[in-house]
Amino acid sequence: MAPIVYYAFTLLFFFAAYSVLGWGLNLQFGEAGILNFAYIGFVAIGAYITGVTSSGPPPAGSGESYVLGASLPFPLGLLAGGVASCLLAVLVAFIAFRRLRSDYLAMVLISISLVMYDVINNYVPLFDGADGLNSVPMPLSGTFNLDANGFLIFFALLSVGIGAVMWLVMSRITRSPLGRTLRAIRDDPDVVSALGKNVFRYQLTAMLIGAFYAGIGGGLIVEFASSFNTSAWLPAETFIIFAALIIGGLGNNLGVMMGAFVVPVLFTQLPKFIPDIPGHPGLILNLEGAVIGLLLIVTMWFRPQGIIPERPRRPDRFLAAQAPPAPPGGIDADAAEGPPPAPAGATDAKTTG
Amino acid sequence: MHQFWLAVGFGLVTASVIAVAAVGLSLQFGITNYINFAYGDFMALGAYLTWELNAGAVHLNIWVAMIGGSLLVGVFAVIVNRVVLGPFARRFERVFYVLIVTFALSLIILSLINSIWGADVKRFNMSSETPLHIGPFLLTVDQLIVIGIGLALMVAIHLLLTVTRLGKSMRAMSDSTTLAMTSGIDTRLITTITWFLTGILAGLAGTVLGITSASITPSFGETFLFVIFAAVIVGGVGSVYGAILGAVMIGLVTEVSAVFINASYKLDTAFVVLILVLLFRPSGLFARVGRV
Repeated sequence: MAPIVYYAFTLLFFFAAYSVLGWGLNLQFGEAGILNFAYIGFVAIGAYITGVTSSGPPPAGSGESYVLGASLPFPLGLLAGGVASCLLAVLVAFIAFRRLRSDYLAMVLISISLVMYDVINNYVPLFDGADGLNSVPMPLSGTFNLDANGFLIFFALLSVGIGAVMWLVMSRITRSPLGRTLRAIRDDPDVVSALGKNVFRYQLTAMLIGAFYAGIGGGLIVEFASSFNTSAWLPAETFIIFAALIIGGLGNNLGVMMGAFVVPVLFTQLPKFIPDIPGHPGLILNLEGAVIGLLLIVTMWFRPQGIIPERPRRPDRFLAAQAPPAPPGGIDADAAEGPPPAPAGATDAKTTG
Repeated sequence: MHQFWLAVGFGLVTASVIAVAAVGLSLQFGITNYINFAYGDFMALGAYLTWELNAGAVHLNIWVAMIGGSLLVGVFAVIVNRVVLGPFARRFERVFYVLIVTFALSLIILSLINSIWGADVKRFNMSSETPLHIGPFLLTVDQLIVIGIGLALMVAIHLLLTVTRLGKSMRAMSDSTTLAMTSGIDTRLITTITWFLTGILAGLAGTVLGITSASITPSFGETFLFVIFAAVIVGGVGSVYGAILGAVMIGLVTEVSAVFINASYKLDTAFVVLILVLLFRPSGLFARVGRV
């Protein structure tokens, strides 16, 4: 087959993987309002644990060294990555969540991801330091007797399948009472706790589910690429996923998918086709970050709700379906409008912090 | 014991670097009420502009170049606030919009630095000196100058905040923008001046970080950010004096820890301190009701 076909399937894979990553962050940030600037750390833990639990002990003489070194069959390694990412979420939530307002939390989270990066990069026995994992086996390629090219197509399709299942689960979650409570917490945590909900527990739930999605997404990436190291999860990568969310449409799973297509796939692939400016090799690739940042700022100014905005929820329909006593529909009605441009001016902004 | 005192000496140098950065970040936060996640990149920009004046296009003395580079970052910060952050902060009530915009700015500045100066390590053009014995410490003249800059800036900022009309207006604004406005304070002007001053502080911090760590890379400000955050949170967010004390504490802890553990993890101990403070005193060690 022509190389273009393999390229298309590679893009398809990244579209699926980034959609999974986007849904996870969307649940945390778009639905629950947790500004998780450490998201890429959760992705990385998922990827590393999937890698070390499926590639067996480090081959002798390769100079690689990492912990665990199990050889779990295909879906188990991936699930181990998801679970490891959840454990990290529990740890983070118990350290940082209880008493911090959102911007302190963001500072702590970004610190967590920077320190994780530093430690994993320097401490070689953990995940082989900066060299990372390089010999993650291609899952199921033995079972179906696939060569590298066949595996690429097979695994891209498999990832689309996994992505579809995760999409179904996530759309159930966001439609459920859990999703509704999370959106209410995002819009006003004080009101929700006044209604007797345990805000911390709901946020922890959102962190856990989101972290699981991050771990699975990371695991898929490591199994597809067969290798993973610290250059794959620079802190700026978190930003790429945030940008995908906001440009696609925060709080809307379809919008997130659209964002996953526009930002990580289109925007990080297109510059590779733009010819280099003579005398400045790599300039276009370097400017890619600036273009994504600029695009995000422009989108946030002119279309803060994203390409596909959050679906207006219909409190009247919801109330009709529920037997009395009716819950206060006002919370959902507010959520439906998305982020309104505040005409109130600077003084109002000060009171929100 | 000898090792310990040497580490304390280096700790004072690191503390000066962190203090300059943390005070700038705190002042910005006091006025704007949001955290500027691009602050580390402002620092890197300052270091690179200084490098350009010191070893690039022009060949000035490092300290003269530092003043030039920092002033340029101050101007840059004013422009960024006027064109991007100010309008977003006025338009959107929810603070996370501005936080994401600062995150976007961080990516933009980092890419621009990468495109202009390249990803390879740069060094300032300065004569290397033999260290001097001062009491139990062993420091170079440059390191002493860095400590001196830190001390002088802290005194200057203390005087600015307590004596001058400008400083009093800044404190008033950080308590309540609305009240400050009704008392006849030109809040827009104060905001602009604050961005100029804190931009200068970021530029200075980036340059002294480049001097003390003997190398500059595009992302070195960003990776240093968590150390600054640690100092700011330990001191109590928004409190300038807390930031100074937090900086001294974090500076000493990181350098002294290098006596006991592998030096490549010394900055990570700042994070351990941060976690301990969050667990036991989340509002910061030195937080008081009246901020700044």
